Amino acid sequence: MSSKTRFRSTGITRRGLLGGLAGGLLLPRMASAGVAPTGPVVALEYGIASTMLTLGAVPAAVASLDGWQKWVVEPAMPPEVVDLGSAWEVNLEILAGMRPELILTTPFLAFLRPKLEPIAPIVSIDVYGAGGGDALERAIDETVKLGDILGHQQQAAAFLGEAQALFEDCATRIRRLRPGPIAVVSFTDQRHARIHGRPGLYHSVMQRIGVENAWTVETNMWGFQTIGIEELGRLQADRTRLVVMEPLPPDVPAALERSTLWQSLPFVRQKQVSTMPAVLLFGMVEEARRFARLLTEHLERLA
Amino acid sequence: MTARSLSLPAGGFGAPAIVLLLTAAAAFLAWQNAAPSLAAWGNAPAEYDPARMLLLYSTLPRMATALICGAALALSGTLFQQVLRNPLASPTTLGVSAGASLALSLGVLFAPALIGIGRDLVALAGSAAATALIFALGARRGFSPFSLVLSGLVVSLWCGAFSSILILLNDRYMVSLFIWGAGSLAQQSWDIPLGLLPRIGLLAVLAVAMARPMALLEIGENSAGALGLSVSQLRLAAVAVAVGLAGFVVSAVGVIGFIGLVAPAITRLAGARRVSSQLLWSPLIGAALLWFTDESVKAMAGVVSDFLPTGAVTAVFGSPLLLLLLPRLKAMHRSVPEARKPLPPLITPSSRNLILVFAVFAVLLAGALFFGRTPDGRWTWLGAAEWDAVLPMRAPRVFAALGAGAMLAVAGTILQRLTNNDMASPEVLGVSAGATIGVAISLFVFVSPALGVQIGFAAVGAVVIIAVIFVLGMRSGFAPERVLLAGIALGAMLDAFIGVLAASGDPRALTLIRWMGGSTYSVDAESATTVCVLAVVFILLALATRRWLDLLPLGAVAARELGIPVSSARGLLFLLAAVLSAGATLVVGPLSFVGLMAPHLSREAGLTRALPQLLGAALAGGGLMVLADWGGRMMAFPYQMPAGLVSALVGAPFLIFLLLRRRA
Repeated sequence: MSSKTRFRSTGITRRGLLGGLAGGLLLPRMASAGVAPTGPVVALEYGIASTMLTLGAVPAAVASLDGWQKWVVEPAMPPEVVDLGSAWEVNLEILAGMRPELILTTPFLAFLRPKLEPIAPIVSIDVYGAGGGDALERAIDETVKLGDILGHQQQAAAFLGEAQALFEDCATRIRRLRPGPIAVVSFTDQRHARIHGRPGLYHSVMQRIGVENAWTVETNMWGFQTIGIEELGRLQADRTRLVVMEPLPPDVPAALERSTLWQSLPFVRQKQVSTMPAVLLFGMVEEARRFARLLTEHLERLA
Repeated sequence: MTARSLSLPAGGFGAPAIVLLLTAAAAFLAWQNAAPSLAAWGNAPAEYDPARMLLLYSTLPRMATALICGAALALSGTLFQQVLRNPLASPTTLGVSAGASLALSLGVLFAPALIGIGRDLVALAGSAAATALIFALGARRGFSPFSLVLSGLVVSLWCGAFSSILILLNDRYMVSLFIWGAGSLAQQSWDIPLGLLPRIGLLAVLAVAMARPMALLEIGENSAGALGLSVSQLRLAAVAVAVGLAGFVVSAVGVIGFIGLVAPAITRLAGARRVSSQLLWSPLIGAALLWFTDESVKAMAGVVSDFLPTGAVTAVFGSPLLLLLLPRLKAMHRSVPEARKPLPPLITPSSRNLILVFAVFAVLLAGALFFGRTPDGRWTWLGAAEWDAVLPMRAPRVFAALGAGAMLAVAGTILQRLTNNDMASPEVLGVSAGATIGVAISLFVFVSPALGVQIGFAAVGAVVIIAVIFVLGMRSGFAPERVLLAGIALGAMLDAFIGVLAASGDPRALTLIRWMGGSTYSVDAESATTVCVLAVVFILLALATRRWLDLLPLGAVAARELGIPVSSARGLLFLLAAVLSAGATLVVGPLSFVGLMAPHLSREAGLTRALPQLLGAALAGGGLMVLADWGGRMMAFPYQMPAGLVSALVGAPFLIFLLLRRRA
């Protein structure tokens, strides 16, 4: 532990410091001045892991790594990263064996605290959950905090700058396209779907780049609502488009094909339905950026 | 169907009245729910009218699906009940739906291509497999009503445990599996109702064709046989039709629990006695009942924004009926008298065997503590250098599993000796389910109850269930299978309750599901110590009651003559079993079946007297649970499976094995 380099603590932000304190239970030496960890840092959640990768830090281990390729896709996870097992029951033996210097977790995994505390300091990255508020703004705040904690402030600032520029660029392009309201859904089976709305990340991004969300009902804490597909009949506004997120269960398209109700929906009749590659729903800025980019490109291609 | 067969029995409430009432209520709710669509109806139809489309292609097909599924399940239940002469038989209680559901879950996860080819085939294969298993068991017991339903419910629980493991392994698929497992009736086309109609219709025609022969069966099997009727062929055909009916429904909309039990029961209560009138009225009542339930669910969904699958709701309201129906079982059917003579042990006790047992136990314990896998998945013994780092994490889990297993085993031994029933155990009697309900209540009363509070609530829940079993048991003279059935029915109720919580997305559901699974993950050094201390204290107390446990099985009179205060001794022993079960259930959940297995292992090892059996059972139970915990940690490494579920995968088949072996 003595080999740790002291971080040149000029750029620590108020938010970062408060965040670090609020994250609590950092070892005193870390909380006091922002010492960049040199040892392994593990991420118990996908959004945190992908943010780390974009900040140029590779997590030593990630929970539920099995599903990364299916649910997150980008950024690619380096092969040497260790799988910690499911997030609900993180494999403590592997975790402790890695002697991590820092564990990054979320408020949803608060029940793991007593197990994790003896292993390493914990910082909780809080984008979703009780606090409420705009998911994208919170993700940006937490990215700044993460940059401070990891000693990657410049990368964080650069990354957030790039992200802001991308959002601006997307917003400009969207203004040119002037799309109608858009509903974003993920099908769970032939008859049910999750539809995305406030206060989720997709909704936040759509707001940021000037796309109107067709689904105006407030959804749950994570920003989605489970519906029977017939409830899509509520989307009657002119020029509404339905964007379907992958992965799409294999038997869904055929079932929709046969459904007269589905065929009668305005956005189906006007051929305003399209599918888009997967973007992690419970993500942070990297996922927001991916969603903004994919959605804008998607709309441009269709225009 | 002739007019005569439809005539109502004198003085009966009347099945038609019930059908009318339910239909009227459902229609009223449907009218309310569809009011917006209907309001638009009068307007001149524009080129495209969304409300009209919704009515035509969602509301109406949903109604049709509810009616068809309700009728099919009720008909399936009636066939089962008639041909098995068992008022508790139904697709739900015989494990038909659970079998289909598990087969489909497996298909979705591991062979999606198979699902693409034929959902129906997969579902039917699952139903048929479950039914075949249950009937293989039932045939050996002369189709005794109790043992059939008992093995059906155990198979259901087993399928449920297996499905839970699949869900835990694939947590991002969880939502769709939950929706599907809970049976949602939402529709967007006529696909499902129109697909179901010919299948169900064909099977219904076959069922009607069997009405006359089944009526002959009513007069008694021997006379029916004398009239030239092949009873076994009829039985086989009727069961096949009933399985088909339920299997098609499950493959189309998921599991709709208990309609197949409730509708035939209402039909009988309404006075329909003849086979033909039951075959007519039960499907009508089932159809009206499911329609009514579904419209209620839709009306509720308007109030609470959460998604509520209809099947989960029918299960919650239907499962208590199983308990209410239990007393009727005696009036209608005599249960097959059970052989109480214990079977001879497989091995005889000797000092060599004893040493062997201890050696196996020591190896198990050492293996659980020191044998594991490295992060890259290789098998390895823990080097001494790592003890300090790893053992503090591993040891609490191993010792908590050990303590919990031992407590369950001792509780099981006490219950088996007290009730003179070798299938009694905390899990089978519903004592563990009671403890779980206690914890569920504590979760709703306090935000995050401390371990002590949880143990307290669990103990109260366990004591209440034991008291209920005791009272019910006294009334029925402790008819063993009746008591067992009540316990398993409680377990099914708990399952249904948690199903609704899970589908509604209540965050407390996750706590309960994790808890149901029985994972030792959350155990720390402190709680492991608590569990072990509890285990030692109460097992010592149990050992002190060995005289009671030796003499009480001889019967109350004999025991009293030998100077035992029978009622207070029984009361104390039941209380002791309750506390032991509560403590153990907190660690390993309600579904482990270790409390059932361990006393048997002990007796099979030749330990027949109370003291040796208790000790042997404690060792066996502790060992089994340690093994289950280790297996759960290793089998999907680095992902971990809860010990309770893992041992249920072994324990439920063991219960079935016992059912088989008990053929007198």
